[in-house]
Amino acid sequence: MDSEEAFISLLDHNKPSNPMRKTLLKASVLCLMLSGFISRASLFAQSDPTGKKPITSTYAITNATVFAKPGSEGSKATILIKDGVIKGVGSNLSLPVEAKVIAGDSLFIYPGFIDGASQAGITKPEDPKRPDNFDSSKPSDEIAGITPWRSAVDQFSIDGSQVDAMRQAGFTLIQIVPEGGMIAGKSALVILGDDKSTNVIKENTSLSSNLNGARGMYPGTTVGVMAKFRDVYKNTELTKNRTATFASNTGVVRPEITPTYQAMMDVISGQVPVLFEVGNDLEVRRALSLKNELGFQLILTGLEEYENVIDLLKSSGTKVLIQLAVPDDKAIKAKEGEDESEEVKALKARVKASYDKAIAQAGKLEAAGVPFAFTTIGAKPNDLMKSLKTMIEAGLSEEAALAALTTNAADILGVSKFAGSIESGKMANLVLATGPIFEEDSQIKHVVVDGKIFEYETKAKKKKEGAEGSGGAIAGTWDYTSETPAGSSGGKITIAKDGSSYSGTITYDDPAGSGAATSDLEDISYEGSSLTFSFGVSAGGMNLKVDVSAEVSGNTMDGSMIIGEFGSFPISGTLNPTLIANK
Amino acid sequence: MKKLSYFLAALVGLSMQYAMAQTPKGSVLIKNATVLTVTNGTHENTDVLVQDGIVKKIGQDIKAPNGVETIDATGKYLMPGIIDAHSHIALDVVNEATAPIVAEVRMKDVVNPYEIGIYRALAGGVTMSHAMHGSANVVGGQNATLKHRWGSTDPADIIMQDAPRTIKFALGENPTRVHGRGRGIQPRTRMGVEAILRNGFNEALQYKKAWADFNAASSQKGNTAVAPEYNERLQTLADILDGKIIIHCHSYRADEIYMLINVAKDFGIKKLVFQHTNEGFKVAPEIAEYTMGASVFADWWAYKFEVYYSTAFNAAILQKNGVITSINSDDAELIRHLYHEAAKTQRYGGMTDDEALAMITINPAKQLGVSDKVGSIEEGKQADMVIFEGHPLSSYAIPQMTFVDGVKYFDINSDEDDQRQLVSATEMVEPIYLHEETAHKCMQDTEYLFETAEALFSLNQY
Repeated sequence: MDSEEAFISLLDHNKPSNPMRKTLLKASVLCLMLSGFISRASLFAQSDPTGKKPITSTYAITNATVFAKPGSEGSKATILIKDGVIKGVGSNLSLPVEAKVIAGDSLFIYPGFIDGASQAGITKPEDPKRPDNFDSSKPSDEIAGITPWRSAVDQFSIDGSQVDAMRQAGFTLIQIVPEGGMIAGKSALVILGDDKSTNVIKENTSLSSNLNGARGMYPGTTVGVMAKFRDVYKNTELTKNRTATFASNTGVVRPEITPTYQAMMDVISGQVPVLFEVGNDLEVRRALSLKNELGFQLILTGLEEYENVIDLLKSSGTKVLIQLAVPDDKAIKAKEGEDESEEVKALKARVKASYDKAIAQAGKLEAAGVPFAFTTIGAKPNDLMKSLKTMIEAGLSEEAALAALTTNAADILGVSKFAGSIESGKMANLVLATGPIFEEDSQIKHVVVDGKIFEYETKAKKKKEGAEGSGGAIAGTWDYTSETPAGSSGGKITIAKDGSSYSGTITYDDPAGSGAATSDLEDISYEGSSLTFSFGVSAGGMNLKVDVSAEVSGNTMDGSMIIGEFGSFPISGTLNPTLIANK
Repeated sequence: MKKLSYFLAALVGLSMQYAMAQTPKGSVLIKNATVLTVTNGTHENTDVLVQDGIVKKIGQDIKAPNGVETIDATGKYLMPGIIDAHSHIALDVVNEATAPIVAEVRMKDVVNPYEIGIYRALAGGVTMSHAMHGSANVVGGQNATLKHRWGSTDPADIIMQDAPRTIKFALGENPTRVHGRGRGIQPRTRMGVEAILRNGFNEALQYKKAWADFNAASSQKGNTAVAPEYNERLQTLADILDGKIIIHCHSYRADEIYMLINVAKDFGIKKLVFQHTNEGFKVAPEIAEYTMGASVFADWWAYKFEVYYSTAFNAAILQKNGVITSINSDDAELIRHLYHEAAKTQRYGGMTDDEALAMITINPAKQLGVSDKVGSIEEGKQADMVIFEGHPLSSYAIPQMTFVDGVKYFDINSDEDDQRQLVSATEMVEPIYLHEETAHKCMQDTEYLFETAEALFSLNQY
């Protein structure tokens, strides 16, 4: 065991709880004991009977390859951290005696990533009850999705599995945006830190808005939403004037104070920007036209198709958060049919061209000189780095990619003073990887948030295809359980081995009602002890893809499943004994 | 000094305006065509010179200025670009169906320049369309008048910026079904529709007065006046009362048509066009006397109860009674052959060529308030034109080239199969809904309102 692993094992009190990790923890404890390294308890303060309190908050990560900010070359350096703040970066630091020294020789360290707009850890508030005399042509603001007074902080929990997935992907500081309708509420800046802290850096950082109508009531469509936005904005301005007149005169009609107008006041005064969620270029133009008409500060978020407005984004100087996702490549990777006509080939070539254009957009945005950052809303946590690599292959420079994750995001969110780069005096938010961050085999091993160190399991490189899993045979019927926000559920996974490949089915509680539903397993892969597969669930008219990855050990499996964009949830299973001997 | 800076400011202002309004303008000389001017007779073997988007000269033996392309149209017909006074193409949203009056919504906010319907319309010689809000509300949203500048990515570039404002109204079954039957609020009957209109306009008058009072009071020294609530819905109705907006009203029955004429008279509204107007022939003199005309289907009816009493002679009867009459499509398919629709008025009603062509050119231009700019081939007008093989009112007519502002946007000789501007990156086959594509879209986005009503009545939603 090398020193890094030993160090991490010592810090496992910071690890988020996760069944898979618990299993692995047991294994690592065993490993420690075997290597004769059994004095871990002595490193914790004696005054803490739980043994969970670290003895020091000073760390020195020595001799690592440090990339202090985008564009700077990686150089060997030591990073000294104390109480969540970077105290020094360099090669000749004098380390205080209380510093826990961590050998970082094989690690590549980057500034912690920043997510410009995120819904990790956000739970949608309950819909307000409709009154008995509800009139859909004039619903209350709250029912119509106009809730500028709501705060994302009230909807946020650091314990969510999405938060851990985000942190595992390297994100340390995020702007959380509330769930809701056309004016959803106030965003906030939080760090993905300790579960004992609120982790709030700043509240009311922006007003989250979108063009989505309220279903079955006014405003029901984009065209209604735009009209209603103008109405709310202009009446807030008038209310401000009325309130001022009322305050300084007598005999003045009482101004009507509403939660909506009160919450909009610092938006109309320009203190708080509107974070407008837009998908394509036409929506970009719609949000910009509202901004030009009304005059608010604007940050655009969620951009997916924006090639046609890159010049406009540049000339208007708009702050932009693009979606950290690329289109699904299933269509362009589909096999050719037999005897395809020239016409079909030409049509398919257009889809391919369209895909190529989509993934090249970020590079074009960079070339145009628009400093952008990312939003992870609408993206799968486990695909973030893959998407980014796809953008890089299509022309985005690694420097701009890192800037979008760090310095640009810090600029857009106004936190450059303390975040975005590895410098003395900044918050100790770091990503520690096993190699250069955008390289294929690099994995994120540790994430430091506010000086707290989180460890993540790195997987061994994939073995040769077809290699039999080392975790044991998986064919048979598994009973599994999973924990989702909807509660605990479970079912059976049946796997059959067919030559060198596997097939199977999974049962689960039918989202459409009672009983169980069954889906076929797709893309089953079993290498080493890692089992991965996916399946489709149709729920409420949506087709969700569920990706499962688990570690198999004997007749148990532990792992996680990612349900569409909803996040990652734990899953565990046991293999039922069969009459047929497992070979 | 002051004068100079004022002058400079004006200059800068002008140039900025110019920069904003810059859409492509073309120059072209079309030689030797049979020119159907519509307003000024038919001229054989005639040349038309277009410079910077404007018709400069109509005559014989015109020489092409330097650099201006010449198109030989010998044996072909040149007519004004066809104008569709009732369409829903190039819109991302058609109905904000949620309230009986939604005058505040603007279709200009949701124009989509990528929609393939624009190109298909060009292929049918249609250079302009009136992109209307749907008919779910008594007072619908404000419409957009479009010029079919295919290939634009900015919606502002296909909106005819110098066209006056227009707004959608709707009478009869659609608004009573959506709000009365669908939601249990007024209007449930035709009487309710009239009440909504009269109440709306009366509120608008009060709104206008409240703001006038406030503005007057706030100019006084030491006043403590506070502004009334801002309400764009009522402001828009007030703008209608002030003659700033042309009403385009979805209507079928004679009684409701006459009702709206009376409401308009009572409130002093002059700018009014009826749409569909299937029973217009019963009240043709009244429509002629008081309105800007009627825009009708050539022979489309019986798709719901209020549209049974109809005749293919409707357009001709209206026209003979002096009503400005146009033929419209309300449909992404029908828009491709409006010249056939116009020709039907010759079969049913014996219209002359000019009368029939006027129904898809100068008459819809009048109804949209743009007849001083488009709708006929005249020197000084915008060069929206179509070259036809065969007379456009012949059943063998085939549009060859379509020009907007002198720029050619359709040419049958370079008409590739796949004209889409946007292609999905994730779907090899994009779904196409044949029913939706062919049904006209007045009631688009309102389907969910009728889950119960549909089951009970199985009605079409036109």
